[in-house]
Amino acid sequence: MSTAAHSAQSSQPAQGKPARPEAAAKPKTLWSLLLRNRLAALGLTFIFIWTVIAIIAPWIAPHDPYATNMANKLQAPSASHWFGTDNFGRDILSRVLYGARISIWTGLIAVAISFVIGVPLGGIAAYYGGRTGTVIMRLMDILLSFPSLVLSMAIAASIGAGLTSAMIAVGIVGIPEFARLMFGQTVSLREKEYIEASRAIGVKNTVILYRHILPNALAPLMVQATLGMGFAILTASSLSFLGLGVKPPIAEWGAMISEGREYIISGQWWLVTFPGLSIATSILGFNLLGDGFRDVLDPRLRSGK
Amino acid sequence: MKRFKLMSTLVAFSIMLAGCASSANPTNPASTAATGNTGTPAAAVKSNLTVAYSEGGTTLDPAEANDLTSDTLVLAAYDQLVTYGIKTEDGANIANTEDIQPMLAESWEVSDDNTVYTFKLKQGVTFQSGNPVNAEAVAYSFDRVASSSSGSFLYGMAAIKSVKVVDDSTVEITLTNANHNFLQIIAMYTFSIVDQKTVEAQGADYLKTNAAGSGPFTLEKWDPATEAVFTANESYWQGAPSLSKVTMKFTKEASNRVLLLDKGDVDMAIEIPPKDVASLQSNTDLTVASNASNRILFFAMNNNVKPFDNVKVRQAINYAIPYDELLSGVMYGQAKQMKSAVASNTPGFTDAGFVYEHNLDKAKELLAEAGYADGFTFDFTLGSGFDDWEDDAVLIQAELAKIGVTMNINKLARAQFLEQQKTNNLTSYISKWTSFVNDPGYHLGFLLYGKGSSNYINYSNAEVDKLWEEANVETDAAKRTALYEQAQEIITTEAPWAYLYEYNRIVGMSNKISGYAFYPDEVIRFYPLSFEQ
Repeated sequence: MSTAAHSAQSSQPAQGKPARPEAAAKPKTLWSLLLRNRLAALGLTFIFIWTVIAIIAPWIAPHDPYATNMANKLQAPSASHWFGTDNFGRDILSRVLYGARISIWTGLIAVAISFVIGVPLGGIAAYYGGRTGTVIMRLMDILLSFPSLVLSMAIAASIGAGLTSAMIAVGIVGIPEFARLMFGQTVSLREKEYIEASRAIGVKNTVILYRHILPNALAPLMVQATLGMGFAILTASSLSFLGLGVKPPIAEWGAMISEGREYIISGQWWLVTFPGLSIATSILGFNLLGDGFRDVLDPRLRSGK
Repeated sequence: MKRFKLMSTLVAFSIMLAGCASSANPTNPASTAATGNTGTPAAAVKSNLTVAYSEGGTTLDPAEANDLTSDTLVLAAYDQLVTYGIKTEDGANIANTEDIQPMLAESWEVSDDNTVYTFKLKQGVTFQSGNPVNAEAVAYSFDRVASSSSGSFLYGMAAIKSVKVVDDSTVEITLTNANHNFLQIIAMYTFSIVDQKTVEAQGADYLKTNAAGSGPFTLEKWDPATEAVFTANESYWQGAPSLSKVTMKFTKEASNRVLLLDKGDVDMAIEIPPKDVASLQSNTDLTVASNASNRILFFAMNNNVKPFDNVKVRQAINYAIPYDELLSGVMYGQAKQMKSAVASNTPGFTDAGFVYEHNLDKAKELLAEAGYADGFTFDFTLGSGFDDWEDDAVLIQAELAKIGVTMNINKLARAQFLEQQKTNNLTSYISKWTSFVNDPGYHLGFLLYGKGSSNYINYSNAEVDKLWEEANVETDAAKRTALYEQAQEIITTEAPWAYLYEYNRIVGMSNKISGYAFYPDEVIRFYPLSFEQ
């Protein structure tokens, strides 16, 4: 319940923000350009659908996703259970719908962690440079040198299995991407005249970073955040698949695939297919949108598609 | 960034495709079976047996072996002084652990007070290295067990005081007290006779990765990650084995073992999931042996942790277990209801005191009497590795929710789970247990005797302890059984565990295999097997 309310609220500013710095120059073009890009529009549709589902899951789910009924287990998709039932007789459609809340919520929190920690680190490293910058960026390189899934497994396992630790693990793994991006942006922005001007009139460094550099670096960061959502959902699902994510009986896509994989050979394909499709479409949505964002925001990549 | 995006999309799609592709498999079992048969031309030369195992084992040292695969490896390469007999029950061969048969020991004598055993060794038996199997080697092997970290416990259970070499082919073993389980314990893989000269020549760690026994097979290769290969010891003293080669393939995922067996890529597979038994039985090339084992599964509650320190709460949990759903829904009938802390096929079993059934009203009543009318919340630790455990936990969780009890399931990797268990601090968990010596004294001594080494839930009842101690030194079998029955009744009534079920041991094998026998220790002996090509 509260999960949906949160995800709705926090996704709002997240998607509203990128438009702001651009807004002054080209008020309508961002959205219209984005919508003209068919793949991006498709991505946006997927995201929109999954977000809506996440919010209204309790009202549209035909059954209680946690009600077991052994008499009704492993039923193939039918009129009463569109996606069939699992090995406890639970309705898979309802579980997939509820799973959307977990996945999107996990993605948002994880990306928020990466963003809130990674962006300031990258900004500070580039703006101040010197030893501080070197230390921060080499730390980021160390984080990047681990395969992301292995690193997130190690972090999740050391904190202890659970949804929260999975979010933290995925969030930490995403930090260096944001830090490096912000680093690159800040290095180029630092030399701009308006920054030099602010510095000349005695504006504090923190204020320059927050008020002048960050807004101008937001566009590529938002692209990364959108792509990062896809990554976070996939990694969190992978953690759950490996038993490091949610606790049973929580309906989570990765965990559902993990529990259902034993039944592939005996012919109950619906246990894994529907959560699999859900993961695929949601990640595809975020990736297509992220791709579209980048095309729109970067004139050099703007092509006629 | 771009590479990541591409990759994650690909991964997402492959998950999706994996889901779709799965539907193709079950529709054509006939075609897969047919290709399987044509795919084994190599086997036509001589009888090579391929077996799918779930785990790769941890050691080859008999004194340290403590898991199913390691035990199997040891029994293929080593002999013991004595071994178990075989009986036929409902057409299936089952080991009779009370019937002790000679192996390396030709005969033995027992002193009147049952404390001194004198073993006469068979003449002319040699180790695979050519060294003779003599009394020295036996004494050496027993001493290794005494000083090992894993086997020393069994050495204590056997109550061995000393092992003396009388002459080259006579060994005298003295016990601290009469022990009716002694012969059954020394028939275990732990008490395998090792080739002293080879070990001493090669160094202390040699046995961890090499075999030096007198057994029917010589080890050609052992890689815990992939496979182990044994070849026949053609000069085995009991006659060369009928199998010329045994390959154990280590396949962790149960569904893969089922697939390999179904397609004919392996000739035998262990630990078949109950849900796949019916489909494998429909394959006319296969036989599925499903035997009642003494492997039990129980829901343990820590008697030192509130509210499980209250006997009424524990009984309430016993009334909330959906027994039939576990048997039919999770185990597909390949299990039996458990009605005592001791398995029903253990001599001396009694279901006295077992009054429990799935009755939520009764459970609520008991909770109210215990002062938990509004229920409570507790932590449950789920060890990974066994699919049925998670299914059981989720079903029990759903039932407990109906009486207001919230069960938080915390998943742990198996190794971590075993470690945590040993701290005696887990509030509750599900665990299995197999007593290799099928005896209530041995069994309860580990699990529910106050000082038992695997009594991880701090169950302690002075009367049970007294009964167990009395039975331990009682030489009359009938009197012993009576004592064990009393102890079981008290335990069942006090409910330190909720009894879930007794597993069937399920092994799938090709119809061409004969000689398979089920042992309570669940280890397959390869020597008696034969495989027609």
